Amino acid sequence: MSQRDVLAELRGARVEAPAELRARIRLVAAQAPEPQRSRRRFALVLVPVVAAAIAAGVFLSTRPAHHQAVVHGSVALSPQARTATGSVFAPAPSRKRLQNYSASLDVQVANVPAAVARALHVAAGLGGFPASVHVSTAKKAGHADLQLRVPRTKVQAAVDRLGRLGTVLSEQVDIQDVQGGVNATDRTIARLERELQHATKQQAAALRARIQALQRRRAATVRAAHLATVQLALSTPPAKAKARHHYLREALPWLGGAAAALILLLALRGLGRVREDRLLSRP
Amino acid sequence: MTFAEAAERHLDDVYGYLVWFTGDRAAAEELAAETFERALRLWHRFDPARGSARTWLCQLARTVALDHFRSERRRARREQLAAAQERVDERFADSLSPELEAALRSLSAGEREVVALRVLLDLDAGTAARVLGISPTNCTTRLNRALRKLEEALHVAA
Repeated sequence: MSQRDVLAELRGARVEAPAELRARIRLVAAQAPEPQRSRRRFALVLVPVVAAAIAAGVFLSTRPAHHQAVVHGSVALSPQARTATGSVFAPAPSRKRLQNYSASLDVQVANVPAAVARALHVAAGLGGFPASVHVSTAKKAGHADLQLRVPRTKVQAAVDRLGRLGTVLSEQVDIQDVQGGVNATDRTIARLERELQHATKQQAAALRARIQALQRRRAATVRAAHLATVQLALSTPPAKAKARHHYLREALPWLGGAAAALILLLALRGLGRVREDRLLSRP
Repeated sequence: MTFAEAAERHLDDVYGYLVWFTGDRAAAEELAAETFERALRLWHRFDPARGSARTWLCQLARTVALDHFRSERRRARREQLAAAQERVDERFADSLSPELEAALRSLSAGEREVVALRVLLDLDAGTAARVLGISPTNCTTRLNRALRKLEEALHVAA
């Protein structure tokens, strides 16, 4: 008998389940609950909708925070807060109210000494000056910390130009309104001057001393508010080869663990296959 | 397709597969019942997009049959009896010649299984391979080997 004949005979064979078994299976099938495809379909629709809603929520909550820039407090700005022209975002100082304005920039540059020179030039060009400068360089790497004081009305231009020195890694703007405090001081001085008119000699001396102290404090506050502070940190990018080595060293244990798990999984699967083959190898 | 429809339509296939796989009609009957009971519990997991109900039921039947083989082997070891000695002489199918029945009996369970899936149930190589958990190439190799053994057994008998 040829293989074709064997196949033909085997294909002609029909095995029918006995009536008892069929009845038994029908009893089992009768226990089947109503189809729940609609619920499943509903879940199939619901899951992406919920996922999209969550994603939208996350997206909206992680939008650039510069819209939250308010007069009081500090706002940390991400590099995405750059404007379309490539400059960095800095809220405009108020022209009518006194403010303590400070900004800090972390900029990555190729050449730190050259960037420091340019930053000092920018400050001087805007009528400002460096309050402190610290520069350290070693081989190709370098780091510099500068504290620049520039007129508050020109701080936006200063931040914009300093941001163009290199790649802005982070930036922060702090604006503190001090107009309220100055107004309160003015009111106190006015009240004390009124009291001075009806005061005795002894009281007058004490009142004058207090008025002078308040006036000095007011003047200091106004002077400080006239100049904004810009903290500038300049640094060179980390060496690429070292960074790659660092990542590799960090990833190595994970890769090793994953490889070991994979080998174990394959070994277990192979073992299971061998045992199954052995089980089914008997006639 | 409801579970009742799937059970009604594929009972013969599952039963036939199990008869050829185990070589024991009584055991195949029990295993088929167990397969459909398990299928009822797991029916919510069945996804028509990933394969037909017949394939899914055959996969379940295979798992049930493998559990049966393992427990049988443990029992045979305990009782120190060869499984072959216990086997009752039953027919795989009524229409087969006694020679082919005997030749089928000489095949291993694994070889009969692949013949049942590819020839009796007429599954394509890919589907049968999925049921067996092997590659389509491996499945075809197994089938060819089983058919060659059948041919040889029939030649010897002749």
